Amino acid sequence: MENTNNNTGGNISTNVKLPKQTHDIFAIMARGHFISSNGTKDGMNRLYDVINNPENFDNLQAYFNVIRYNIERGNNFFYFAKIDEANSLIEKKLESFEKYIDIIDLFASMDNKITIGSRFRPSEIAEECNANVRLKQKLQKIPLYRSETLSNKVREICDLMTRDSFLEREDEESETYKVLDSYTYLMDIVNSIAIYEDTGNSGTEPAGGIIYN
Amino acid sequence: MINIASNKYADVEMSGNTCFVGTNNFGKTSLQRAILFFYSANSRGLGISASQKPFEEHYFRYENSFLVYEVATEEKNFFVIIYRHHKLNFRFVDSPYNPDFFFNENDEALKIGDVLKKLDKFGIYYSNQIDTFERYRNILYGTETDKMLSKFHILRGNEKYQNIPKSITNVFLSSKSSIDSRFIKDFIANSLSSESTSIKLEQVERQLRQFNEKYTDIETYLKKETQQLIELIDKKFDQVKMLKGSQLEMADKLGSSLKYAEVQNESIRDASKQKEEELDTLQNEHNAQKEHIEGKQQDIREEIGYYDRTIREANKKLKEYQSQNIEDAVEKNKQREQLQVELNMARKEYETLTSNVSSIELKYSTLMEQLKNERGSYINNINAKTSTIFNDYNERQLLAKNELNKKENELKQRREDALADASAEITSKQIEFNELKSEEKVIRNTRFYEAEIKQLETELAELRAVTYKNRSEKAIKSNLIQTLQKEWEATEAKIKSSLANQVTKVNNEIIKKKTEIKEIEGKLEVQDGALYGFLEGNIKDWHNTIGKVCNEDILFRTDLEPEVQKEVINSLYGVSLKLDSVNIVSKSLEEYQGAKNELLAQIRELEDSLNQFQVSNNEEKMLAADRYGKQLGELKEDVKVLSYSLELAEKREKKLMLELDDWKQKASEEIEASLSGNRNKFNLVEEELSILNKKKNNMLNDFNLQFEQLRAYHLDRIADLKERQEAEIKDIETEKDKTVASFDAKEKEMNEEKETSFKSKGVDSKQVKEVDKKIKQIQEDIKEIEQYSQIVNDYLKDKRELFDKLPDLIQKKEEYMKSSQELNNQLEEANRKFNLKNMELRKQKRSFDEELIEFNNGINYFTKNFRETPVYNKYEDVIERAEPKKTNYSVMDLCTQLLKNDSHFNEEYGAFQRYVNEFAGKFRMDNHFNFMIRNDASQAEYERFAQNVSNFIHENKIELSIAETATQIGLVTDSIASKVKELSGQQEKIQHIITLIADDFKKAEFEESKLIEFIKIKLEESDNKVYKMLKKIEEFKDEHGVFYGEGLFNTDYATGGKNKEINNRAVKLLENLRLSIKEQEQEEIRLQDLFELKFNIKEGMNETGWTHKIDSIGSTGTDILVKAIIYITLLHVFIKESSHRSSKAFKVHCIIDEVGQISAHYLKELLKFAKNRNIMMINGLPNKSGLESHYKYTYQFRREEDGNVRIFPSIVTEVEA
Repeated sequence: MENTNNNTGGNISTNVKLPKQTHDIFAIMARGHFISSNGTKDGMNRLYDVINNPENFDNLQAYFNVIRYNIERGNNFFYFAKIDEANSLIEKKLESFEKYIDIIDLFASMDNKITIGSRFRPSEIAEECNANVRLKQKLQKIPLYRSETLSNKVREICDLMTRDSFLEREDEESETYKVLDSYTYLMDIVNSIAIYEDTGNSGTEPAGGIIYN
Repeated sequence: MINIASNKYADVEMSGNTCFVGTNNFGKTSLQRAILFFYSANSRGLGISASQKPFEEHYFRYENSFLVYEVATEEKNFFVIIYRHHKLNFRFVDSPYNPDFFFNENDEALKIGDVLKKLDKFGIYYSNQIDTFERYRNILYGTETDKMLSKFHILRGNEKYQNIPKSITNVFLSSKSSIDSRFIKDFIANSLSSESTSIKLEQVERQLRQFNEKYTDIETYLKKETQQLIELIDKKFDQVKMLKGSQLEMADKLGSSLKYAEVQNESIRDASKQKEEELDTLQNEHNAQKEHIEGKQQDIREEIGYYDRTIREANKKLKEYQSQNIEDAVEKNKQREQLQVELNMARKEYETLTSNVSSIELKYSTLMEQLKNERGSYINNINAKTSTIFNDYNERQLLAKNELNKKENELKQRREDALADASAEITSKQIEFNELKSEEKVIRNTRFYEAEIKQLETELAELRAVTYKNRSEKAIKSNLIQTLQKEWEATEAKIKSSLANQVTKVNNEIIKKKTEIKEIEGKLEVQDGALYGFLEGNIKDWHNTIGKVCNEDILFRTDLEPEVQKEVINSLYGVSLKLDSVNIVSKSLEEYQGAKNELLAQIRELEDSLNQFQVSNNEEKMLAADRYGKQLGELKEDVKVLSYSLELAEKREKKLMLELDDWKQKASEEIEASLSGNRNKFNLVEEELSILNKKKNNMLNDFNLQFEQLRAYHLDRIADLKERQEAEIKDIETEKDKTVASFDAKEKEMNEEKETSFKSKGVDSKQVKEVDKKIKQIQEDIKEIEQYSQIVNDYLKDKRELFDKLPDLIQKKEEYMKSSQELNNQLEEANRKFNLKNMELRKQKRSFDEELIEFNNGINYFTKNFRETPVYNKYEDVIERAEPKKTNYSVMDLCTQLLKNDSHFNEEYGAFQRYVNEFAGKFRMDNHFNFMIRNDASQAEYERFAQNVSNFIHENKIELSIAETATQIGLVTDSIASKVKELSGQQEKIQHIITLIADDFKKAEFEESKLIEFIKIKLEESDNKVYKMLKKIEEFKDEHGVFYGEGLFNTDYATGGKNKEINNRAVKLLENLRLSIKEQEQEEIRLQDLFELKFNIKEGMNETGWTHKIDSIGSTGTDILVKAIIYITLLHVFIKESSHRSSKAFKVHCIIDEVGQISAHYLKELLKFAKNRNIMMINGLPNKSGLESHYKYTYQFRREEDGNVRIFPSIVTEVEA
């Protein structure tokens, strides 16, 4: 991820007109969270519209570049990428991402696949997992702590994904979650994973496993 | 108080400042509450906390509990009884209070019924039972219309009389020692407003939330990404529908095919068997016919052979006869008899001539005969020899000939056999060849897949007809859509212009009314300093005098400096006038206020009517939208359906065309395949035939060669034999010629001797010689003829038997030939027919067999590879319900295709679901479009969702929603603005009250004591965030008039741009208001939120400065004093404001509990301050401290042994009041 706006200078904030939501945007994205167009909590969709405004986008990009953040645009979502991030940090991120592979695998294996915009209750997923051995195994395979019941495990997954801004708890009462546009980010990463076999005829190649493109 | 709370009876006089002395919990406050209840008659507004017993239960424990209030007016005394009968009730009694009314002779309190009986007994008037607090207050404060009860008014209150009890209550309830402007604000506001004058923020928030939600929904809907998703959903839904339709169709076909296969299996098996039998029968029949024809042919061939042979032999014989000049022989044979006659005649002549020399003749004849015989014998001998040789050689020749014949016959036989074999082979090949030829002809004439092709052609023709119809229908509907759209636009324009006209009209009227209000307000503002104010203050009933002769302009002039001159008080500049019949020109302030209120009401009405008009206009708009939208939606849906069907038809046509081409191709391929098979065979057979012919020819040549060789050998042998024969015969002939010559010489010698003898006897020898010569000649001729007689006879016999019959034979042969040809034709025809039929039957049988195999394969495939799949479960119903029917597709193909298509369908459906989820996810859960889909929704629900989205688009419901939301923003803005206006309208009153209070403070005679130098009060703008936002909305409305959100979403480019800024501002204002409400968590905006109050109090050297809250001005006593002063002022101002000016002066109580810490000096000042304002103080003191001496009445509270409280008067002294 290269800095495309290095020439904006340090006094950018004095020269450009930043939207008044800049602070809110920063507060969300600097935590590594996403701003999705279909998010409703805390006016997320409004923030998306603000960033999506071309004029604002340029100004915000220039502004955040100064503090070495780059706004990355996904399909209906935005997030920050740190410019010149250390490899060790990237590695750490990838490690923390690994559990999502199993979660996405589980979600994609459901009868009613969970996709962008899907609304579901953890209990529904737990029920389906309970009724389907394959799904149950997949769920049990996901390494999380609170695993005394399937429902709790699903809840924990939902909490994790909500924390990471991939889901949104839309209705507290009915415990309904909505899948946000940022879920595409997870899907994209999973899709860019290439699995290769160890051919065994080359001593230089690493052992079989996954690599990220 | 009779049996009230813990007090059995108390009679408290309160016609002056009154003081209650008693320690806590002795019932001081309860008594004060009972006094307050007289004024307020509101059991819930007495400051009783929720943990305490309600007023009714605490005070009225018994049936004979009474609160009795006696009121003294200028004219008389009356009293009010309050008692509990389920709920609290009131009765006004037109009599001074007398305890006897309530007690019996045993001093026991009576029940209300008995009390009333007593009153009846005394003939005292009492009112009916009044069972509502409201009515009681109306009677007490003089707004009751019942004239019978007007005697119980304590004042003539105006519409604001409620302020009096409210004020008294508020003073009583404010027990804090510190003075907070908020309390004063509340006091003023509560006195001015009723419950309904506040703006319920919950309601506003709800309206705003509803608007905001709708707005957000529409905004989300109009987003580019959402529109793209809609398109994708629409497209995918069409695809999914089409795929599903085709899957269902295919499932139905599969079901039909399966059922058909099951049903037809047995019958096809039977049919195949039947065809086989038919084939056998056909073969047998054909064989029989063939045999019969061939039998006939054989007979005919034999006949032909016979005739042919006979003719040939006859011809041969004839040729042989001709070669022997048979015709000459026959001709000569005819002359034989004549020659015989001539011979006989010659012999007679000879005998006649030689009758003289008969002995010589005889001698010589004998000699001659002898010689002749010798010669004859020799010749015979030689001839015999020759004949023997000849015969021998002839025999040899014959043998050779026989041998030749034998060999020839053998060869011929071989040749015939070989030929017969070859010909049979050739014939069979020729038959085969002919069969193939006719088969080709049949194939060429056969139309393969005729039924399918015909069906497809029919289907195509029907499809084209439907397409043509649909195309015209689509064109018509599209035109209709355009027309309707134009009509709709025209209607909308009409509605808009009518709204705009109405808005202008109403706004003009409102402006007019406002001008009038301003005029009235101008008058009201100046009235104090004008003649009007002067007259109000100084001249009693001036409306009936001056008011009749003075116009308004003069009344409201401020420069007239009026003064009262006693002398001319009832005259006009000294001229007295009888004004009874003159109408009053002047109006009272209430009338002005009334007029103003009426105008305000009219404005409100106008605004309401405008709102109503707007609502009805919107309704009209919505109706039009609904009507046109629905029609357009339906039409658009129709057009879409038509387009879709056209598209489908086009696809179907293409498909059918392809199928047709396929079928045609298949047919031609089938022909080609059949032909190529046939042709191969044909070529093979042709080749074989030519080989056979060649072989036959070779064989014939071979045989011919053999024949020739045989003949040549034979001829050689014959020639050799003939040569040898001729040589031998020649040798014998040579010898014979020699011998015959010797005989001839001897005969000549004898003849010459004879002649000489004759001559010697005189016989003419010359004539005898001639006759003899003639005889010899005839004999020679006869001999020659006899030589051929055998052949001629044979010939004649042959001629008779053969040659003459030859034409008949030829004709017969030809007839047989013809018959043979006919039989050949017959056979050929039979073969052709047989082949054709055979082929047809074989084809049918093959087709049945193939069908059977296909059915079985299909059923097996279905059972093994399809029935266990989820696809089967999915379409089980359709498959199982299908009717048995023949289709153009095999079960296997259908199963494979269904499985293949299902995977495609699943892919497409997955995409479709993803789009629907993404689309629905863009909206709130409870969005007003109802775009909501559960995660576990069924396919039907997803499809219904897509259908709803499609309907939504085609019926253009977004326009309706936009119109509704636009109306809503107008209504919300308007409603908020009206509420704010209504509430702000009270601000003038507040200003008025504050002015009065300020004036009243000024009038306070603090200067005398210099205890309090001044108390100042001022109004400031409210810093309530919500109110500020509300105000902004009101200003916005004032600025833009009636706002109806046209072009709110910028979809209408004609008007959108113009109103964009206004709309954005409105939306932003409403959003900010909503956020403020949420942030501030305030339930309502009341009058007190509209302004801020600030005080500035100076006591001695202490000045508080302008402040909201005065915690301590000086000592606690000072604070209580200031507080009491403020309360009294407030009460005074409100009483003044809440009663008619014409009302006579009346006194009320101001109940302030706990004034124990006030100094005597201050108390004195306070009581004086109250007295000047016709207010009597009721205060509570914890104990006697000397302060009580300043009150007119002092009561002490004591708890008796039985727990009851006794109230008794203490010192009844009024030091200074």
